[in-house]
Amino acid sequence: MNKAKYQYRAENHFEYFEFYSEGPKGVIKKVVEYQKTSNKNIYNLAFGDYDEMAKGIDDLSITNNGDSLKVLATVASTVYAFIEKHPKAMIIATGSTSVRTRLYRMGITNNLNEISNDFAIFGFTKDENWVEFEIGEDYEAFLVTKK
Amino acid sequence: MTTISKLNNSKIPIVPIDKRLEKYRGKVLFPEKLAKANEILAKAPIPKLKK
Repeated sequence: MNKAKYQYRAENHFEYFEFYSEGPKGVIKKVVEYQKTSNKNIYNLAFGDYDEMAKGIDDLSITNNGDSLKVLATVASTVYAFIEKHPKAMIIATGSTSVRTRLYRMGITNNLNEISNDFAIFGFTKDENWVEFEIGEDYEAFLVTKK
Repeated sequence: MTTISKLNNSKIPIVPIDKRLEKYRGKVLFPEKLAKANEILAKAPIPKLKK
């Protein structure tokens, strides 16, 4: 993912990352979390804004800070970092809204050549099956694992 | 700037460790998203990776 991205920090297990989005709306703290799911070795990728006032997370917020591609590239970069630390893990990603799910799909599509060198990617279809990711298809969730 | 350009050009990222973030490990900050992921995972068998 040879794209501009934000510098981020992590805790020692690379399951929690933080970075700051910078743009016309100011400096906004973003967090990326890899959550253990009920399936062994499958982690859920979740990210959103940290609301400094509410001291909480908002994963539905649309920041409009003019840097969505850079934010997405940063989140994608954490996937590389996470998998380096957890090489046998699978990562599931679902958008909090259908718009965000489409944004994930766009991010995968735009970088598929590079990503598919390193990762196997599956999409969860409307008829509730996991299939190999194909450009142009709609999915409700994505599953990524190191090849 | 050196760090930023190194970061932008490396596939395996350089990740500074921040001990202050340890407190967040394992803390579920997005419970709805985790519930949604578990729900999807329960619906279909996990695909096998072709070797």
